[in-house]
Formats: sequence, C-alpha cells, structure tokens
Amino acid sequence: MIDARLADAPIDAAAELAGFMAKLAGEGAVVSFVGIARPRTRGGARVERIFLDHHPRLTLRSIEEIATAAAARFQAGAIAAVHRFGAVRPGETIVFVAAAARHRRAAFEAADYMMDRLKTDAVFWKREDAVDGVRWIEPTDADRAERARWSE
Amino acid sequence: MEIRFFGRLGERIGREIEIEPPPPGCTVGELRVLLAALYPDAAEELASMSTRACIDDTIVGEEAAVDPARAVEFFPPVSGG
Repeated sequence: MIDARLADAPIDAAAELAGFMAKLAGEGAVVSFVGIARPRTRGGARVERIFLDHHPRLTLRSIEEIATAAAARFQAGAIAAVHRFGAVRPGETIVFVAAAARHRRAAFEAADYMMDRLKTDAVFWKREDAVDGVRWIEPTDADRAERARWSE
Repeated sequence: MEIRFFGRLGERIGREIEIEPPPPGCTVGELRVLLAALYPDAAEELASMSTRACIDDTIVGEEAAVDPARAVEFFPPVSGG
C-alpha cells in the first residue's frame, strides 16, 4: 500500500498516522517522521513563510517514485508520504512519512531513505521568505551527503 | 507558443508566457538564446545547463526540436522538500 500525496493545507500528522495504522495488514513495525517548517533561517532571521513552488504533475510523480522505491528496497508493506506545497508557515508540518514493515530495522531505514531523497530529489523549488530577505534554497552539502548514503 | 518557468525563473519571468513561434527546426538550445534576448535579466540562468528543459513532462537535451504546439518548460535545480 503506497499513499503519496500533495497537500495544500496544514497536515495533521496525528490523523495521518492513525489513518496509516488503520490500514496495516500484519506488519510488526511502524516508523513515522514529521518535518516541521523552522522559525529561523540558518543565519537566525525570523522566517515569515516557506514557499514551495511545484510542478502540476512531476512533483507528485517524484514523491510516488521515492515512496515506491522505499517500499521495494526495504520490503515495506505500507508507505505514506504526504508533502505540502505552496505557502507554509513556521511551525506547520511540511512533510509526513510513514513506513510499515515486518521488523523495525526495515521500517526505520525506509523512513530515513524517503526523507533523504525527498530533501534532495523531490521536484520542488523552495523559497524562504524571512524578515531579512527572500532566498531560493538548494539542497545543502549535508543533504547531498545524506542522500549519497543510499547510492549503490 | 507557450513557455513555462518554475522556481526562481518563474518568479523573475512569470509562470507562463506566450511567444511568437520560433522558426521551424529550432532546437531547445536555440530557444534558450531567443529567450535570453527577450529576458536579459534572466539570461544567465536561461543559458545555464543546470536549468533543465522539459517537454511533455520529460527532460530533454539541447538538440531536442521545439514544436510550437508543445509547451517547453524550464526548471532551475530542484531544492527538494
């Protein structure tokens, strides 16, 4: 079961997790991750909003591809990946992922893998609107290094 | 014909513009040059190979033919989520 979605309104992570768990079929482990829009830039300035520009088809396709790859690679029986687009306020959930597998290690790794790929490969163009200016963001070297851990 | 821009380029130029159809045989590479002349502020990014061109939801190379009936989209490097 793969559930990949885009959301244009705040994501209710608790409701997402409950809905995910209600659909399980005997898996013994669930790992979920919630990403929250940070209130400060790297330089410490207050963020007014994050804007995620997206493509009408390729953005969702990229998330589906990442979710499908995670399911196959870690033999996860169920995967959820829900990502905001458009304007996101600090403190709002920007991404929710969950992975269910027979055993915990696969579930942890599937969630970790999805997040590393979402942070670099998902088709978004992210702009940070802060009190000291507006910046278009690209993946950091740290993001790329995390992503590279999964390359073979 | 329709041209669409995303991310920083979309902010600078607009999400979607309509231009006169380029001459028959025009390639994506030549379209970049044409657009750079129309939008000198964005010329550097339009010329950059890190800005990818996309036709019918598929990334295409510089030699791809431009068909005025099919929109060409330009993507700056994606940021991830």
